Amino acid sequence: MRRRTFLTTPLLWPTLALAAPADTSVAYPPVTPGRRLVFPRDHGAHPDFRTEWWYVTGALDTPERDMGFQLTFFRSRPGTAEQLSSPIAARQILFAHAALTLPGDRLRHTERVARVGLGAAFSIDDCDVSIGAWRISRQGSGDRQTFRLQMQSPQFSYDFTLTPSQPLLLQGDNGYSRKGQRPQFASYYVSWPQLTVDGFLLFDGRRQAARGRAWFDHEWSTAVLSDGAVGWDWVGINLADGGALMAFRLRDAQAGTLFAHVAWRNAAGRLRQFETAEISFQVLRHWSSTRSGANYPVQLEIRFGEHTVRTLPVLDDQELSTSRPVPVVYWEGLVRVEGSFAGRGYLEMTGYADRLSI
Amino acid sequence: MLTVSGLGKQYPGASRPLFSHLDLGVSAGEIVALLGESGTGKSTLLNCIAGLETADSGSVGIGPQGLDIVRLGETARAALRARCIGFVFQAFHVLPTLTVAQNVALPLLLSQVAADEHVGRTQALLERVGLAGFGGRWPASLSGGELQRVAIARALVHHPALILADEPTGNLDPRTADGILSLFLERVREQAAGALIVTHSQQVAQCCDRILTLTPDGLV
Amino acid sequence: MTTLAWWLIRAQFRTRAAATCLSMLAIALGVALGYSIHLINEAALADFGRAMKVVQGDPDAVIAARDSSGGVPLATINAIARDPAVLAIAPVIETRVRIGNTGTPLRLIGLDVFSAAAVLPRLLPRNEGMTGGDIFGGRIFASPALLDRLGQRPGASVTLWRGDQRWQTTIAGDLPATGPDDLLLVADIAWVQEHFGPPDAVSEGRIRLAPDTDRANWRRDLAARLPADLLLRAAEDDQARVSNLSRAYRVNLNVLALVALLTGAFLVFATQLTAVAQRSTQFALLGVLGLSPRMRLLQVLLEGLAIGVPGALGGLALGYALALALTQRLGADLGGGYFSGSAPPIVPEVAPTLGFLTLGCAASLAGALYPAYLNRVQPLAQALKVGFLQHHRAGVPSHRRWRLPLLALSAFLMTRLPPAFDLPLAGYGSIALLLVLGVRSAPLLTQWLFGWLAARRLPAAQQIAVQNVAQAPLMAQVAASGLIVSFALTASMVIMVSSFRLAVNHWLDHVLPAPLYLRSKATPLPQDLLAGLERADAPFARVERMAQAALTIDARRPNVALLIRELERNNPAARLPFTGPLLTPPEDMAVVWVSEPMHEIYGIEPGQRLRLPLIGRVVDVFVGGIWRDYSRQFGAVTISRDDYLRLGGDFQPSDLALWPRPGQESAASDWLAGWTTGYGLELTDGIEIRHLSLSIFDKSFAVTYALEAAATLIGLFALAVTLAASVRLRARELATLGALGFDRRMLRRAVIFEGALIAAVGLLIGVACGIAIGAVLTHVVNPQAFHWRMSLAVPWLTVLGAAGLTLLAAVVASAYAAHQATRLPTAQILADVQ
Repeated sequence: MRRRTFLTTPLLWPTLALAAPADTSVAYPPVTPGRRLVFPRDHGAHPDFRTEWWYVTGALDTPERDMGFQLTFFRSRPGTAEQLSSPIAARQILFAHAALTLPGDRLRHTERVARVGLGAAFSIDDCDVSIGAWRISRQGSGDRQTFRLQMQSPQFSYDFTLTPSQPLLLQGDNGYSRKGQRPQFASYYVSWPQLTVDGFLLFDGRRQAARGRAWFDHEWSTAVLSDGAVGWDWVGINLADGGALMAFRLRDAQAGTLFAHVAWRNAAGRLRQFETAEISFQVLRHWSSTRSGANYPVQLEIRFGEHTVRTLPVLDDQELSTSRPVPVVYWEGLVRVEGSFAGRGYLEMTGYADRLSI
Repeated sequence: MLTVSGLGKQYPGASRPLFSHLDLGVSAGEIVALLGESGTGKSTLLNCIAGLETADSGSVGIGPQGLDIVRLGETARAALRARCIGFVFQAFHVLPTLTVAQNVALPLLLSQVAADEHVGRTQALLERVGLAGFGGRWPASLSGGELQRVAIARALVHHPALILADEPTGNLDPRTADGILSLFLERVREQAAGALIVTHSQQVAQCCDRILTLTPDGLV
Repeated sequence: MTTLAWWLIRAQFRTRAAATCLSMLAIALGVALGYSIHLINEAALADFGRAMKVVQGDPDAVIAARDSSGGVPLATINAIARDPAVLAIAPVIETRVRIGNTGTPLRLIGLDVFSAAAVLPRLLPRNEGMTGGDIFGGRIFASPALLDRLGQRPGASVTLWRGDQRWQTTIAGDLPATGPDDLLLVADIAWVQEHFGPPDAVSEGRIRLAPDTDRANWRRDLAARLPADLLLRAAEDDQARVSNLSRAYRVNLNVLALVALLTGAFLVFATQLTAVAQRSTQFALLGVLGLSPRMRLLQVLLEGLAIGVPGALGGLALGYALALALTQRLGADLGGGYFSGSAPPIVPEVAPTLGFLTLGCAASLAGALYPAYLNRVQPLAQALKVGFLQHHRAGVPSHRRWRLPLLALSAFLMTRLPPAFDLPLAGYGSIALLLVLGVRSAPLLTQWLFGWLAARRLPAAQQIAVQNVAQAPLMAQVAASGLIVSFALTASMVIMVSSFRLAVNHWLDHVLPAPLYLRSKATPLPQDLLAGLERADAPFARVERMAQAALTIDARRPNVALLIRELERNNPAARLPFTGPLLTPPEDMAVVWVSEPMHEIYGIEPGQRLRLPLIGRVVDVFVGGIWRDYSRQFGAVTISRDDYLRLGGDFQPSDLALWPRPGQESAASDWLAGWTTGYGLELTDGIEIRHLSLSIFDKSFAVTYALEAAATLIGLFALAVTLAASVRLRARELATLGALGFDRRMLRRAVIFEGALIAAVGLLIGVACGIAIGAVLTHVVNPQAFHWRMSLAVPWLTVLGAAGLTLLAAVVASAYAAHQATRLPTAQILADVQ
């Protein structure tokens, strides 16, 4: 589901989206429950589906404490040029986004975009997606598998190896994750929390060793934003006790919750999931962006069942604006949580800067 | 003002020197006439004194400091001439492309007299030689006598210590010549400069304080 | 001192207004020509560079195939994209298409908007209110200039043609960042590839590197790994290529402007020399009164500057005006044919403007140098008495006579030297030496001629003229030198151009054998047409097909043309004008014949085996011979169609030579008419092409003629000025003669005869030098600068006619000088000089 899914489909590619139905009626496969996910095959791309992303966020404690990083690859099949036989037809487009949070300082971010076949590539057999030298790839098998994250830019670069310390987490119903009241609003969604980060980081001209904890998400779908939704709030938290917590809600124009979901896996590996009725999102504090004028609820209290957690951003200003191909403004950054559980992870909030309908 | 001692000059290829071991002195306020037949070297002597030709031997002291022009380089000679010597020529040598006043002011320009004095001093001297109001005229419109007055004004305008004159009345008719000569001598005496006048004319010589004659055997 | 200097300069300007103004004019002319050539060229280069930047962007490196029929494989593009130092690589496919049956093919650029944003931002399209659909959906975008030209608006449906391939699409919007001369179409790269190819490759990849990359190293490393048929260019290479395009032509024009400037310097020399001579008494007086020798030197230099500064300033203004006028009339390449498009804006910049100002001043200073020196060394006492003393006696001292043969030998040896920096610098040096030789030999000829004349019994007036020249050798030499230099240059240019024109004429006979030519301008001819020509009912006795491509041999040089022709492998001489022996190629090897420029530029010799980038790979070929080519200055290589097909090439003819069946000429034209209008093809007959070629030729030398005419005019000015001054200098002698009973007519005749004698000497040497320099231009400068060889053909009628005219002009100038000199009553002159 989440965040850029919606961005990439109808918003980032308005021209693609508009043109698509005019030229061809692309038959995207539906997301249905009961599909058995097979790995490593399902770590790879699913190019028939409309959108897909590989998303890694994490918190570093070296070279500085509470540094946040994020690397995302979005794949979009806009439905254009489907009839062409040219190997470089713009049928599959990759968009990558990298960010670095420097506590007490600011957020740096950079992006790349390319069509598959011209600078961008993905594998349909395993996780290996790249735009030029930017890449997320998986190596090894069983207990000895790792992910590698590579990106370079004039602003900052990093090269991390992520090693799982826990098993993969299939969200929802064995990877079938609902995003709305109606069943067609759904995605396939797998997470891999509590990954150990080891590698190096380059910024301000210094190359430094970096260590920390990361969270890997892989999600693909054809779904579009359900009726009435204007944005969403999402968190993915590596808990200090070894547990993992994922929560999201879809908001309507009145900031009311249309749909919500929470998945909590404790340190022992027991997974509990919560439905909309068992979940509440309470705003504790807003932060206003002087750039966009948006008002973000950076401190949220999330209740699910008998548990309560509160978010505390390491930096208030983690607002992002992507420029290409159309500008989109949202908040995405490193937060700590406290309450029933303590931990660190990423909070994403969209639909605050504008109506998300251009 | 002028001290010539032991001066000698021989042109290359000549059988004997033009003159040798010449001694000659002109003091301030003194006007000396130099007579001599053609070819005795009067003009060469004058050229050597002015530093236009270089003597083979001896020395020529010029001005109050008695700088020896023979020992000076070309540029220093030019500077010494500009500062200490005034010239009057037989052929006037007034520049046709400059006005009368500009011609008179030439020595002031060359001896680096402050610019704000130029007009005053030029006007004053033009009046003293009877050419008041001629300053803006071109030399082509002047008679021979007037041209020589311009030359006299030019010779005196920068108060030189020494005046060298080569037949100053040679190109003038006798009546004009008389007037010019007395004007010239009057002005030289007025400025208490020393003067050496080369001439053929006994009449001119008689008006001077002292008469020397250059012969092949030396000054008499 | 400054007051005095100013007085003297003013006096000089007042009393010698005409000569001074002429000198100023000459300097102004030289500066104006040089400056306008510079301005026009800068404007043309900037315009060309700007247009290139629109299409090419501003990449750090460009990867492309060496031959225009090849491409960069997608795998190579993607491998480069993965390099960590690469921020973006923007692939493009560029091709030429027609819209419907329009005559001129248009550039269609297929790009990838994602990468183009980083490297080629100016080609990014704009959707007009999104009504037309999008670029990924296969819509195209046209530059505003092209929309204007087509009279179309976004939303219009168009059909793009390339040969038989067609693509029906819609113009969705425009290209807002393109310029008013850019006629461009932009579409998505995949759609262009789908319709026009090439499959699995692109034309070029334009690379943006990370800012901290060592670009030179990166390029070197990548270039070393690339296959031989691919080439990596730097932005500097493109600049060098653009500049190389017109470099030789530009340098040649600048040398001509320099000649004009030198002639100006010479006129200053003549003016100042006579000025010094005339005022020798005045300067002597100032020296006696105490003007230092240094100041006597400086004064003359200062007077030179007083001519140079206003002259150069006027020249700058004139040059600017000239540049504006010429670009409007002839276009930015001065008729050279290197650039096209509308007149570019002329934008003067500070540094070059100051440079040309300095050049003008330096020329006038240089001209004043020797007169200043003469003034400095005048003996005061003598000069005061008898006036100007000429130190230089007629003739060359015997101990210096060996210098003349030495000069001649050096001039000859310099013609044997190779070009430096691709420019015939040694050739220019040799021309300079020849001019010096001419000027130096003038006294010898004068001595000989006048010695001979003196032995004749001549009328009194002529006798006096002869004696006068003998007595004033410096003045005579100055006057003669001006004519020698200016006439030699003019004659040489006339000789070179006429030799060239003759050679081009012969060459056209050889390369245009057919009565009719059909061209589709860089797009393939339609297959139906080619098939139709092969049918028995086609009214043609013979048809020869040709295809063209471009090869990049050196990234810094303009491309070499590849001509694929229907030639017999064993008898190419039937169609190509070979310059030397024709070698038989080995049976198993493809043979190519290289053009003369290609042989000169790349040092390719007959019999050599060559590795050429053809058909997307590098192949070994045999060089069978060298043929003459005056149309492709940067080189061409011809291969037979059979060899090309055997190598695996795809023969797509774009040009046809057609021989109609005898008696069916009009039927042939009718038969072709349908095709020319239907496909926008161009049909011309051989005679028309010949006329067009020769008119382009004449246009490209128009500026050259103008410059040479200016030089001759300046030479005549110098003659008149010097002669007048020389006569005036001898006013006393003339007056004395007058007093002795010569009447004014006889005096005038004497002066005119003197002028004619001097001019005759000058012209005689001028013609000889002109032929020698013409030979250097033809045999050294032309091959080295333009890589064109031809034989020398002296147009005697023109050269001698011009000499006669110049002599006539010299007589008129002398008459003027005589009139000036004898105008005053004898008595006044006699009185004046006292």
